[in-house]
Amino acid sequence: MTMNRRKFLKTAGIAAAGAIAAPYILPSGRLFAATGARKVNHVVFCLYAGGVRNLESVQMMDGNLMPNLLNGAAPISPDIAGAMDILPASPLSQPLQNYGTLFKQVKYRRGPTGHYNGHTVAVTGQYVDIDLNIRAHPENPTIFELYRKHNSPQKAALNSWWVAQNLGPYPALNFSSHEEYGAAYGANFIAPTWLISQDGYDVLGNPKVFGSNEKAAISNLQQFVNQNFNKSYTDGSAGVVNDNPDAALLQSFISDLYNKAQGGQFLNPWGAGPAMNNDMYNICFAEEIIKQFKPELLVVNMQDVDVGHFNYTSYANNLRKADFAAAHLWNTIQNTPGMANDTVMIIIPEHGRNQFGNTSVDAYGRYALDHTAPVDLISGDQMARDIFCMVVGPVGVVKQGQVINTAMGESSDVVPVIANLLGFDSSIPGYIGVKDYNSCDLKAAFY
Amino acid sequence: MNRYLFLFLLVVAVSSCKKESDYIYETTPVTVQQSGAVKNNVKSTTEFISIAYADLFGANISQGQLTKLGNVYASFGDKKVVEDRIILNFLNVPGLQIPATPSINGDTTAFVSKTYKKFYNREPNAFEAYYWKEQIRLNANVSPLVMYYVLMTSDEYRFY
Repeated sequence: MTMNRRKFLKTAGIAAAGAIAAPYILPSGRLFAATGARKVNHVVFCLYAGGVRNLESVQMMDGNLMPNLLNGAAPISPDIAGAMDILPASPLSQPLQNYGTLFKQVKYRRGPTGHYNGHTVAVTGQYVDIDLNIRAHPENPTIFELYRKHNSPQKAALNSWWVAQNLGPYPALNFSSHEEYGAAYGANFIAPTWLISQDGYDVLGNPKVFGSNEKAAISNLQQFVNQNFNKSYTDGSAGVVNDNPDAALLQSFISDLYNKAQGGQFLNPWGAGPAMNNDMYNICFAEEIIKQFKPELLVVNMQDVDVGHFNYTSYANNLRKADFAAAHLWNTIQNTPGMANDTVMIIIPEHGRNQFGNTSVDAYGRYALDHTAPVDLISGDQMARDIFCMVVGPVGVVKQGQVINTAMGESSDVVPVIANLLGFDSSIPGYIGVKDYNSCDLKAAFY
Repeated sequence: MNRYLFLFLLVVAVSSCKKESDYIYETTPVTVQQSGAVKNNVKSTTEFISIAYADLFGANISQGQLTKLGNVYASFGDKKVVEDRIILNFLNVPGLQIPATPSINGDTTAFVSKTYKKFYNREPNAFEAYYWKEQIRLNANVSPLVMYYVLMTSDEYRFY
């Protein structure tokens, strides 16, 4: 059979067009639509949570309480300055905002301004107009599930982490109850300040260690007993599932953390002494995950500023600690081979706080602040919807030193932005309800 | 008079003492146990921890210990990983009630049967009994501790 040049070009052209336009089948047999190009290979989403009011953060009403993140030398208000804990010098050579874009007027647009609601919106990209059942997984798929289902090729759970500062409802955020997603696409979850604690060590820190021959026998026997039972515990009831090699890595990681804790490495890991709070420890453990696993997607939160319900001055103090922790996190990312200069970090509170104080007055005469903007968008205190957002990342990906002073961006932008950064936003079905990346104001942070 | 009294006492004695009847219902004794096929419910966290502790130590877990375990259980997302670790820690705690290896060799079939009833609340089927008996007989690494660990980290142990 002969083929002239024109026919060859025509055939090759059709083949090439088909390769670009058609979905392709992975070795697993799953059909995938081709996904977009990645901007970076890692995203760290830091929820500066607990309820942070713009008045104290970007508007610096009491001076610059966040000098590691924000430019400005405004001194802390003298009446509360003496109550601030001494923190180490910034790990960064300049405030973090200079490594990216700062949005100063972002909205938590709809739904009650509760912590779990706010976290749920942050990780699903969809507002919830009701008070949520805090014992249940979100109804809409989380960013972890979207990533693990739609990223091509599919990635193991070890690539995605949800690191929570506390228990309560937060363990439920690593996957949703959505019938098309769920635990099979969930993230690894850890509440490290609970797990790597004295109580944790007491009950998990001294496991029986089997020899290699025993392990081989155990593996065969486990296979036998599970084959003789007609149900699997790992079909959702057991939470996120890692395959056996990854589960072994996780066991080793937990043991390593206990060994470090027993060796005193977490007594004063940042040189902050008694100023070290739960937020800082949570970030510290998130850094251990980053160093060990270099995850493609990690979400970590802080919540100690929520003391603001009772004590404004402690709220201000904890804002400073969260500020230091966020800068420390970025410094670790930039010093971790494989993640340095290939990571975008997004920092945003889950919601703000009220304009008007409640009845609690602290020792410095400051009124405490709740966060009570209910679903009707009218009653309560709508200032609790005002937040900021900071996006930092590599030169050429994130616009450096940009400050957006006008009202731009909302909480539901973060999920589509992460999906776009990791190159799978166009693969998320429209009926899932995640906002289209092209309609997200936060895209102004990127080239 | 004495004769009437004697007759009265005789009637009372005869009528009040009656031999007890033995009723036979023609049923055979059964052991209440659950087939693996009908275990449809996943144990709750509290049930899993409490039952595992009782199975290994022959006593109820203290409330303080249960609270500690409940918190660490909630603090990690892969429940298989954390359950594995809980069981491995239990297996390293003094006071563990576990048969010594020689007693297995004495009556392996009985040991397998007893262990299945302890952890699965059922007898092993013929194939399971044979398989375990052979494993224990032929593989020195299959100790009582190994069998306990394998059954307690299996899918079936998580159901009732």
